[in-house]
Amino acid sequence: MSAQDIILSSGTSELTPAAQVRRKLSKVAKLFDATKCNGCKACQVSCSEWNDLRAPVGSFQGSYQNPMDLSSECWTLMKYQEVERDNKLNWRFAHSACMHCDDPACLTACSTKGAIVQHANGVVDFDSDKCTGCGYCVSACPFDVPRLDPIDQKAYKCTMCSDRIQVGQEPACVKSCITGALKYGTREDMLFIADLRIKELRKRGYVNAGLYNPEGVGGTGMIMILHDINKPQDYGLPADPKTSVPVKLWQDVVKPLGAAGIMATVAVACLHRITVGRNLVEEDEPAAFDHTHEDKSDKE
Amino acid sequence: MHKQNMILRHKLFDRICHWFVVAAGLVTFLTGFAFFFPSFQWLGAIAGTPQMARFVHPIAGLLMCLPLMVMLVRYYHHNKWEKNDLTWMLAIKDVMFENEDKIPAIGHYNPGQKVLFRTFVVTSIALTITGIMMWQPYFAPYFEASAIQWAILIHAICAVIMLIFVIVHFWMATWVEGSVAGMLYGYVSRAWCKKHHPNMLNDPELQTNKQEKH
Repeated sequence: MSAQDIILSSGTSELTPAAQVRRKLSKVAKLFDATKCNGCKACQVSCSEWNDLRAPVGSFQGSYQNPMDLSSECWTLMKYQEVERDNKLNWRFAHSACMHCDDPACLTACSTKGAIVQHANGVVDFDSDKCTGCGYCVSACPFDVPRLDPIDQKAYKCTMCSDRIQVGQEPACVKSCITGALKYGTREDMLFIADLRIKELRKRGYVNAGLYNPEGVGGTGMIMILHDINKPQDYGLPADPKTSVPVKLWQDVVKPLGAAGIMATVAVACLHRITVGRNLVEEDEPAAFDHTHEDKSDKE
Repeated sequence: MHKQNMILRHKLFDRICHWFVVAAGLVTFLTGFAFFFPSFQWLGAIAGTPQMARFVHPIAGLLMCLPLMVMLVRYYHHNKWEKNDLTWMLAIKDVMFENEDKIPAIGHYNPGQKVLFRTFVVTSIALTITGIMMWQPYFAPYFEASAIQWAILIHAICAVIMLIFVIVHFWMATWVEGSVAGMLYGYVSRAWCKKHHPNMLNDPELQTNKQEKH
């Protein structure tokens, strides 16, 4: 995508914002409807195919979920969350990938200028060439999505197939979804469709059905319809995700205060030096090489 | 070395230790500054590339903190808090404005230097612990994400405090002329001691350049 499309860039502040002219472009979203998902893993496979990712084959861990976790080579994972309801096993299928937050904690925490960007369409993307592998995004993400690659030490995650959506196609996962659980379009359209679907679900008896679009991160570019919106933990989702207190303190308090403290110390030191002057010792025992006796300093 | 009767203030081992810490600290602070203020990424270029800066920073940091711990042991006995240290602290204004006759006599280190010593010890211990917690890819995977977030915050606060004290250290060392030469070559003049650290001359283990073998 063109440089004019980058509306947020890591390592910059409000003093030097990224390009803002296309900020009004409509944002896109992926809508995942957990009530329609049957856990077929087509999204997981097509993600791996389109993005040329081949995670190492794992071992059986007592779950249909495989691999067990996201990795630098697994950007979309079908999670088989096991929940007990009325003494019966229930699966809560969760299409697990980057949420593309409006206010991304990874971007806030990133130590490098431009290594994490947000495009005008809302997609949060990593620039692997700039990534240094500090891992700040890995610990900052409230959804535990980015992963460092063990070989190249760079962070990776779902790009929402930005190469596909750039040319007007939907992400690979959406393209391959057989039940219509995944949809893609403008955020406005997705919110509208989700609203209709939730009304229908409630009519059919799912009184707690609702939309997962957490406020704490400014809303997300992947919104989810859940059977029970009061229990996002059942899907492996945090109840109230947001940029954490230490990350905020570090960026918004320690950095400006630190800069002020360092500059103030240097300023006081310079002022002191100029006003008080040199602190010289009058030698009572002149050095043998000191012929003139003019040099009263103790410099050797 | 000197024909004059000079007094040994820093032994050879300690001097090498000190300048090693300075060299490692320079690399650590320049690369660390690059992560703390991404706009100053060019400072990290001392390591070559941003990726190299990220790789070098924790190693340089350890090379700075570990010899600092050695110096803690070597200079511990000079840095114990003494009775008239408080009176010196209260006369800090006279110290800064060089009202010599009003400055209480002190020994090898003045209370300001003792505070500096303690700050370096505390911050370098904190920086080592938090630095290991956030060290990718070797140690960070063993810690909880929330613990790493706090480690990053504490690491930054300690680094800023340490940098401010490094600036003060540099300011005082260059202001009190003869100090830098003392740390480079080990010796200070008798007059220098009388002016800045008079009680040093009462030290029974005082060594002069006439005694030390080269």
